[in-house]
Amino acid sequence: MFKKKWTTLMLTLCLAIIAAGCGNNANNGGADTNGAANGGSNESGNKVTVNFMHLWPEGVSAGQNKIVNQIIEAYQTDNPNVTIKQEVLDNEQYKNKLKVLSASNQLPDVGVTWAAGFMQPYVEGNLFTPVDDLLSGELNGKFVAGTTEAYAMNGKTYALPLEFNIAPVYYNKAIFEQYGLEVPQTYEQFKTVVKTLTDNGVAPIALGNKDRWTGSLWYMYLADRIAGQETLAKAITGEASFTDAGLVKAAEEVQALVDGNAFVKGFNGLSNEEAKSEFLNGKAAMFLMGTWELPNFTTNEDIPQEFRDSVGFFKFPTVDGGKGNIDSWVGGPGVGLFVSENSEVKEEAKKFVEYFVTKWGEQSVTGAGVIPATKVDTATLELPQLYIDLFNEMNKASSITLFADVQMKADAAETHLNQIQALFGKAATPDLFAGEHDKAISAGK
Amino acid sequence: MNKVMSNKKIIALYVLPALLLILAVVYIPIILTGYYGLTKWNGIGSPDYIGFDNYAALLKDTAFWNSAWHSLLLALFSGLSLILYLAIAMVLASKIKGANLFRKIYLIPMLLSSVAIAQLWLRIYHPTNGILNSLLESIGFDNPPAWLAEPKLVLFALFIPILWQYAGFYILIYYAALKNIPASLEEAAKIDGANALQIAWKIKLPLAMEVIKVTIVLAVVGSLKYFDLIYVMTNGGPNGASEVMASYMYSEAFKSYDFGYGSAVGFFLLVFCLVATWLIRKLTATKDTIQYS
Amino acid sequence: MTSGIASPMRKGAEGSGSGMAGKIGYALLYIVLIAVAVLQLFPLVWLLFFSLKNNQEVFDLPPLSLPMNPRWENYGKVWSAGNIDVYFVNSVWITIAATALTVIIASLVTFAITRMKWKGSSFVLGLFMVAMMIPVHSTLIPLFSMFNKANLIDNPISLILTYVAFNMPITIMILLGFYYALPKEVEEASVIDGCSVNRMFFRIVLPMTSSVLATTAIINIIYNWNEFIFVNTFISSDEFKTLTVGVQNFIGQYTTDWGAIGATLMISILPILLAFLFLSDRIVEGIAAGSVKG
Repeated sequence: MFKKKWTTLMLTLCLAIIAAGCGNNANNGGADTNGAANGGSNESGNKVTVNFMHLWPEGVSAGQNKIVNQIIEAYQTDNPNVTIKQEVLDNEQYKNKLKVLSASNQLPDVGVTWAAGFMQPYVEGNLFTPVDDLLSGELNGKFVAGTTEAYAMNGKTYALPLEFNIAPVYYNKAIFEQYGLEVPQTYEQFKTVVKTLTDNGVAPIALGNKDRWTGSLWYMYLADRIAGQETLAKAITGEASFTDAGLVKAAEEVQALVDGNAFVKGFNGLSNEEAKSEFLNGKAAMFLMGTWELPNFTTNEDIPQEFRDSVGFFKFPTVDGGKGNIDSWVGGPGVGLFVSENSEVKEEAKKFVEYFVTKWGEQSVTGAGVIPATKVDTATLELPQLYIDLFNEMNKASSITLFADVQMKADAAETHLNQIQALFGKAATPDLFAGEHDKAISAGK
Repeated sequence: MNKVMSNKKIIALYVLPALLLILAVVYIPIILTGYYGLTKWNGIGSPDYIGFDNYAALLKDTAFWNSAWHSLLLALFSGLSLILYLAIAMVLASKIKGANLFRKIYLIPMLLSSVAIAQLWLRIYHPTNGILNSLLESIGFDNPPAWLAEPKLVLFALFIPILWQYAGFYILIYYAALKNIPASLEEAAKIDGANALQIAWKIKLPLAMEVIKVTIVLAVVGSLKYFDLIYVMTNGGPNGASEVMASYMYSEAFKSYDFGYGSAVGFFLLVFCLVATWLIRKLTATKDTIQYS
Repeated sequence: MTSGIASPMRKGAEGSGSGMAGKIGYALLYIVLIAVAVLQLFPLVWLLFFSLKNNQEVFDLPPLSLPMNPRWENYGKVWSAGNIDVYFVNSVWITIAATALTVIIASLVTFAITRMKWKGSSFVLGLFMVAMMIPVHSTLIPLFSMFNKANLIDNPISLILTYVAFNMPITIMILLGFYYALPKEVEEASVIDGCSVNRMFFRIVLPMTSSVLATTAIINIIYNWNEFIFVNTFISSDEFKTLTVGVQNFIGQYTTDWGAIGATLMISILPILLAFLFLSDRIVEGIAAGSVKG
């Protein structure tokens, strides 16, 4: 009796294993069974399921999550034959899963992607479908100029952007007032501000450079202001060299700031989150960050009203003799939506994306404090002043340089980020920093 | 006796389920990793076979060798820390009052997930308001270091939570091994006039030897492929100062989209583990296995 | 030696010598033991405090201070964030199923390898040992495509198979040390009694190794309970996800709700704490059961 039970258990197990291991061969017949797993029931009553993978969990991206659910609900009511099935992961896990899914050609019908360098392998591998037809349809002319371009490759657009961000320097007005400081217009004035603050024992700048792209912002602005936007843009695409005198000077200035204790203590080991808290609790006076932080300075009730009222921003100051322009920004679209090339419900997925982008644009500013990539009529919305000011800045921007790590191809982006950390940690000289960049970018990976 | 204990059917019944499972779920990935290591592949589409190019590049890759050195250091420290864990287990397994309660309390941290442990130690190491630096400042150190930002310190700063994280694991195993030693042996030795240290050295240690050998292998292999806390706490930084083989493999495969190269790193890691295990088995080999009698 | 402290003293660290020195050594030992115990309890207390703070307090207040207004609502937030009950049930049954399978199958293998005579046993042992040397991230892409072809994606079976397979080698390794040390007389006696191998294994060997079984069960439970990479990769439907996913619910695109993560971690540690306290006593009982037989 005893023996029998065990034998049965073992047998079942073996079967399960064989099913797992050998299913490989059994399924070979339908070589083209990729695409969405459960979109296949097209014939029976036109019921379709669109799988949608995103990164706005309910717990914390509350605003975004609510909007996503509202949009989906409204869409399903309008299109009763369509079911949108969501899968939510956090940023990190989302990127990992996307990678694993794409290796098996199993991308969701609709998903979130980042621009340029991030999506390049997916586009080259024919995993994303062009969405140019959507751009010429209902969405024609709705996007802010320059946003969809970041998602274009070889003349086709492969995703529709949802967000648009630029990075100003936020500062604590109370601290500035206390030490009699003025908003700096030039880099010389900026250095005086830093000096005054350090002399008084206040950490001038909150920077969490464990995340590396945070430090990249500082380098990019200095490069833009000293060498000019065009030189920087060309160096990033490989048309020019990072050994350009202005670009090397920018790297030197970064190290000069480090030497002058401009950044919070231990910045190379701090995450952006930790550094941000130094700014939010009034210990650090300045914080260079994207406009996605605006809710924390305006509407977020968890942060004391007194602090929120004292946050202002200024444009990264110009450098004397530099080629940069004060209206030149670092920024760009954040995430966008793609449609999988191998989706079995491509048309429905595209329709959903079109609907989603439109509704997102209408709701995201007021609902989640996100600046959408579609045009917003600020006159009709009641928005905090900080938003309105930054909207205006965006409109008169002379150029917006896309974040370097987003723009570069994956391997070069990793080198860039590591070199940023090395530069800030003084483990790399400005010349070495420049050389490593050229090497990585010319390798073309 | 021999006939019964070499019944082929029974052996097959006992071994095959596990073996088939391992072959399917672990060996197929190992073999594929070996194959991907010979290709140029960004994880999308089909891999291009490039022979041993990845391995040739790996041999010259200083970033990889740095990470390998860090992993080896971790393995060394993990191995040495076993002595401490064994000593703690001996105290806990002795009949002192409250040993039962102490044992339970000592093992609680091992229940915490890496996420929680990482957050805890980030708060301990925070450069300005962390527990460690607040403590150092209060006893008069003027400018305590930013532990996770200093290239020279960061690796060792990370070793402490890693070793601490696994302390419970080894103490638990040692504890069970020591408790498995028949009390009669200890009683007999005591009647012969042996003191506690002699009993520990002459009786407990030899009888737990097989378990100790196993834990050395576990500690070394576990350290060589260690990933969790390093990834969360420093991401291998600053500038590679705390990179280990597994985190290097991860960033090559999943961040740089170089799955071929990442797989080569992963396969190298496997070879490291094999060599280390072989060495440990050689060095700790004894002619007879000792049994309780 | 006086009887009151004699028995602990004899087995304590350095308990010989005169009564006075012994007492001091004994006291020192306890001071050290208690100090370490406090240190080991500290993480749990820290986690509790952490779970009662909001982001500002998490970063600003010293780690070991309670906020002015403990934010118990973090727990409410976690509980109402949807699906946590489903995740919880999944975590429990998947952990139990995977742990039970691992421990039993690994025991069978270890018994066959250490106690039975057959060619290739050391080769098979080698196969199991090599299996624990591969980094998890190397296996994700091959495993996903395999389970995908077997139609096991978004199916808890894929999780159980992976957990059993990946924890099997380490479980076998731990069991190994204990099986080698089992006295040969056990088998001899039972074979002479006409016991079948199955009977010997289940009736005699398994009970004798119950202390190490409890040990490996604890280790497996902890690993399975806290695992999240495979869950995220293989499972896409909420109905099959486990508690570790609950943490992700509070990691947003640009912000993270640390207090709620603390509360999730606190909730998820309680079940394994109970399991641990229960199984931990089995480690001691094991020898009692074993020594009767031996």
